Amino acid sequence: MTNTHILSIGFPAILASSVHDIKNSLTALRALLSQLETVYQDPKPTEFRQLEFETNRMNNCLMQLLTLYKIDLSQFSLSIDEHSAADILEDVVAQQSTLLSLSNIQLITECHDELFCYCDNALISNALCTLVNNAQRYCQSKVLLSVVQEDDYIVFCIEDDGKGYPESLISSDYKQLPQIDLANGNTGLGLFFTETIAQLHIKGDKRGFIMTDNNSQFGGARFKLYLP
Amino acid sequence: MTINLASKKILVVEDQAIMRETIKHILGSFGARFIVEAESGINAITAMRIDRFDIVLCDYNLLRGKNGQQVLEEARHLKLLPVNAIFIIVTCEQSQEMVLTAIDNKPDDYLIKPFNRQQLLSRIERCYARKKYMASIENEIDSGNLYLAIHNCEQLLQRDDKKMRLQLLKIHAELTLKVGDFNTAEEIYQDILHERELPWARLGLGVVAFFLGYYDQAIKTFQDLIEQYPVMLEAYDWLVKAHESMGNDEHAVSSLNSAVALSPMSILRQKKLALLADKTENFAVAKKAYAATIKLGKNSIHGSSADYSGLANVHLKSNAANEALKILYELNQQYHNDPEAKLRAALLETEIHQAKGNKALAQQAYAKTFKLNEQFNKQISRELRLETAKTFYLNGNGEICDEILNDLIKTNIDDKLFIKDIVTMCNAITGENHAETLIQHIKKELVDINNKGVSLFQEGNIKAALAVFEKAIAKMPNNQTIILNMIKIIIHDIKTSKHGPEKIISAQSYINKAIQLGIPHNQISGLQIELDTIQYNTNP
Repeated sequence: MTNTHILSIGFPAILASSVHDIKNSLTALRALLSQLETVYQDPKPTEFRQLEFETNRMNNCLMQLLTLYKIDLSQFSLSIDEHSAADILEDVVAQQSTLLSLSNIQLITECHDELFCYCDNALISNALCTLVNNAQRYCQSKVLLSVVQEDDYIVFCIEDDGKGYPESLISSDYKQLPQIDLANGNTGLGLFFTETIAQLHIKGDKRGFIMTDNNSQFGGARFKLYLP
Repeated sequence: MTINLASKKILVVEDQAIMRETIKHILGSFGARFIVEAESGINAITAMRIDRFDIVLCDYNLLRGKNGQQVLEEARHLKLLPVNAIFIIVTCEQSQEMVLTAIDNKPDDYLIKPFNRQQLLSRIERCYARKKYMASIENEIDSGNLYLAIHNCEQLLQRDDKKMRLQLLKIHAELTLKVGDFNTAEEIYQDILHERELPWARLGLGVVAFFLGYYDQAIKTFQDLIEQYPVMLEAYDWLVKAHESMGNDEHAVSSLNSAVALSPMSILRQKKLALLADKTENFAVAKKAYAATIKLGKNSIHGSSADYSGLANVHLKSNAANEALKILYELNQQYHNDPEAKLRAALLETEIHQAKGNKALAQQAYAKTFKLNEQFNKQISRELRLETAKTFYLNGNGEICDEILNDLIKTNIDDKLFIKDIVTMCNAITGENHAETLIQHIKKELVDINNKGVSLFQEGNIKAALAVFEKAIAKMPNNQTIILNMIKIIIHDIKTSKHGPEKIISAQSYINKAIQLGIPHNQISGLQIELDTIQYNTNP
């Protein structure tokens, strides 16, 4: 039996249009939140922090959903160019700045000014934002975001001082990637997404990849993204 | 760097009141005082007519009318944006279809919703930093001095600023392509690709191959790129051009069809598809593309009455005169005071009634055509004039037909593709050799003028030689031989007699014109160097 389609317009259009509407709502929601916030004196109620975190997460999920869907349909290609690693970190910090201003968490960045990487910068900074957003939730007081060159790779590293990744999300060998169990409701989507787009970054016979462990210099989780 | 927005005029184009409020609030917190709001594309254009803005933040999805991309195109087309202005398109999604819809008109940057105050500020700051760095190049491009722009670009490259290096190389290569210095462009792209496989550099190599006439090689490059980057629309656009240049219109239609499927909102691609499909008698595709062009054209400066007459003509060709009549009605509804549209409508009316066998009505419409042509003939586009000439011939008025053809050939003698269109048209209706005779005649006239000017010059009568060429340029503003000789004589005049800056300016403006007309680099660069030397010696 073949599948027949009941809907008169294709699912890609429906998905794109839904994502678009939800994003507009999210944008309006955040605008309303920031207006509401000005009513309160410092220290602001902690609910604002929670709201900021949740809207960030919804936004990240949508973006991942759409990108992964397009990759699956082969309707996606990276737009690769040379970018300054410092600029990418600056984008991540800017995106996280509202959340940071509402909490006592310190986001430290370390990056040499003359480090460059060849990547789709919008995608990479989105992926890093998702992971930093999560790190902010699970850490105690600080998150370190750094970039270094390791042999033929540029390595983005996120370390925190929380309790570390659960066993199921750890893999020090990228070839046996964390078998993220999305079906069982595990929230490894951010890692899965980052791994997927890392793999699309190719130079010669080298591909991008990710690594996760609990060897953070502050004793918590450590995430590394390698780009050739 | 923290930028002070106090001195900046800012336009916020956004249909949602809550978003306008928020953006205004953020900008205000960074010191902005002059902020204008617009909730639609039309209001944005009106605002830009009144004030010269430094920063425009424009939402892509505006509820009614034009979208953000169309606002940008129109603003640039009407020259409402100062060269240093920043135009940022705000979108909901980093959707590639949309991001890549633009052919030539890219905004300075995109900003993805939702964004916070830090993200907005950081985007504006980065745009400003880049604009400031590139100002010496952009200003010269804006004034048409491409060689000076290249020179300034090379100067900046010498600073060896790693962060800007690739961006500068990209502009450098594009500029050398523009002036026709293909060898340098090829070298730049090869060097970049030697370091790293970058899609835009690979595309650049394909473009070089295209301009050098290695179409097979160019096509292979573009096809490989498309396989690797299935949404890279620029590669499709060049592939279409390459197929066309090889005379393979069927392949061009099929490539263009794929590009249109990826970017259905791009009016220029839809229009091109309509024309090509029409030419290859692919009427189903042509109808669909014309209809899409008409719809998009209602909000775009690229919309034209030609889209309507194109669609109506396809209907006529597929024996649907009544459908054509409907389109003619819509054309008249949409355009009121546009002479070109009126002439098109009259031509169309003539043909429709002829097709339907209404002799009296056809005659009436033809009389209208005749009158409109007398009134406006020099103000209308050359394609339409060629069409008009055809109608005159078919209605037994060969004299006016020849008058128009002569004028068209004279002003476009160097444009091989258009001359080919003229010849094709004539061969189909006025018989073989008719166009060729006209062309030969005009070529001879040109040679005579040129020889006269050159011999006056050789006799040392510079003034009279200049006068001959000035008169010729007034008559044939786009003739390459005449412009090149004009430049040579002015430069000689500057060297041999007293001169003020106005002669140098005049020579430079003819050189800029020569580049615009696509005269090869090797014929212009020597003259540019001579002129630069004179300028350098005058005020070192």
